[in-house]
Amino acid sequence: MLIREELCVGCGKCQPYCPTAAIHFAGLVSVVDQDICYECGTCLRVGICPVDALAEHPMVYEYPRALRKFFSDPSATHKATGIQGRGTEESKTNDVTGRVKPDEAGIAIEVGRPTLGMGLHDIQKISQALARAGINEIEECNPIHSMIADPATGTLKEELLDERVLSAIIEISVPKERVPVVLQTIKEVSKEVDSVFMLDVFSTLGPNLEIQPDILQMITDAGFTWRPNAKINMGLGRAWE
Amino acid sequence: MTHSLHREGSIDSLERDFVVFIYPARGFNYKGNQPKVRHLVEIIYQNEPVNMIATALRENLYSEVSHEEVLDTIENGDETTRVYSCFKSRDNIKQLLTEFKEADEGISIMVSGLVDRVRDMAAEVGLSPHTINLSLGIQGNTKRLPPADIRQFTTMCGHGVVSPHLVRDHIRKVKTGRTSSWDASVALAKPCACGIYNPYRSKEMLDDLTPVYTVSRW
Ligand code: SF4
Ligand code: SF4
Repeated sequence: MLIREELCVGCGKCQPYCPTAAIHFAGLVSVVDQDICYECGTCLRVGICPVDALAEHPMVYEYPRALRKFFSDPSATHKATGIQGRGTEESKTNDVTGRVKPDEAGIAIEVGRPTLGMGLHDIQKISQALARAGINEIEECNPIHSMIADPATGTLKEELLDERVLSAIIEISVPKERVPVVLQTIKEVSKEVDSVFMLDVFSTLGPNLEIQPDILQMITDAGFTWRPNAKINMGLGRAWE
Repeated sequence: MTHSLHREGSIDSLERDFVVFIYPARGFNYKGNQPKVRHLVEIIYQNEPVNMIATALRENLYSEVSHEEVLDTIENGDETTRVYSCFKSRDNIKQLLTEFKEADEGISIMVSGLVDRVRDMAAEVGLSPHTINLSLGIQGNTKRLPPADIRQFTTMCGHGVVSPHLVRDHIRKVKTGRTSSWDASVALAKPCACGIYNPYRSKEMLDDLTPVYTVSRW
């Protein structure tokens, strides 16, 4: 994002809207720190500026800066997925697609969430740790997949490493017996990253919304706990195409 | 995209916070889904949502856009619409699910909320939930996070675009009498591009928090 200096009246109204505090005063006007801005578009979208001084950065749709927008602006469509968002449809349509089967589990690492964002260097620490542990089941249609230069090492494309994004989701589907190694690897790498991520595990349910007991045991054994609120696919979908 | 999964706050407060998604699946039930999604959104409107956005329009419940305009865009727009909505009462959600079940449109429906409550409702309505997405919380360098009482606001926007600084700014405005806790909550809902920020819950939390908070500048 940019602030047009000649228009800005320095009211400061836009500043608290920036989740990453990229907007600050420079003399009598506000400016956007281009290194910090992850191009989420929030300041512009809310229409807070009284003089329309906010404008998109000219490079916002140019590779590699475009990565910032696609992974940070909730209303931007990601070319790789064709859906708006930082991941795939994951559990939301599992009743229709059957992507994660009863003997499998989905694991999602939501890097940068909540709010802090994450540099691609940090994301690479996670992708490399997963590769070292032999975890190469990152979903192909997951946008992160296209950022990886070498799946064997989890190294990301060199030109992306200076970018940062508000959120990106690494999605992994594994047979249930591989859940412990994935969670253990994530536990270890969580000590190395400079930012934060949210961790999700999804699996099919038994009757009466019974969560598979072995999944819960694996989560406990890996030293994690689950929150009392969850996202539940109510089983009302069906395929007709 | 798991942006309704990690809402933080007390159990008591989460009792009044449910998120519902309507989600057609690409390649499985996209063809001809528009009238079905429209019908499901009509049902949402009849069950007191506290917020909602259809991706075809991206305007939340507190914008100037009429229900008819949203419904028309869903039915006649070029793109398949996904719908995100938010409710504050268990009774509304139960009625909503009852009507969704009767409508039998075949589109995936997700409910985010306290698992025990959703389990009870599913049993009462006669649904068999298919998949659960569990949150194992925030990992990594958590020292950098804003405090938990601010996160209970910001995590209502799972994309993280409701800024912690904006929350503090509005606490300050409420505290100094420049805005009401309701108006502040509607303002806080605005950056959330998915319409799942719950302004009723936000108002309750602002009323609780404002007296005990001291804020200079955000
Ligand atoms: S686009 Fe987002 S990150 Fe950049 S200045 Fe605006 S609000 Fe901040
Ligand atoms: S809201 Fe507009 S005029 Fe005010 S500081 Fe921001 S860019 Fe400048």
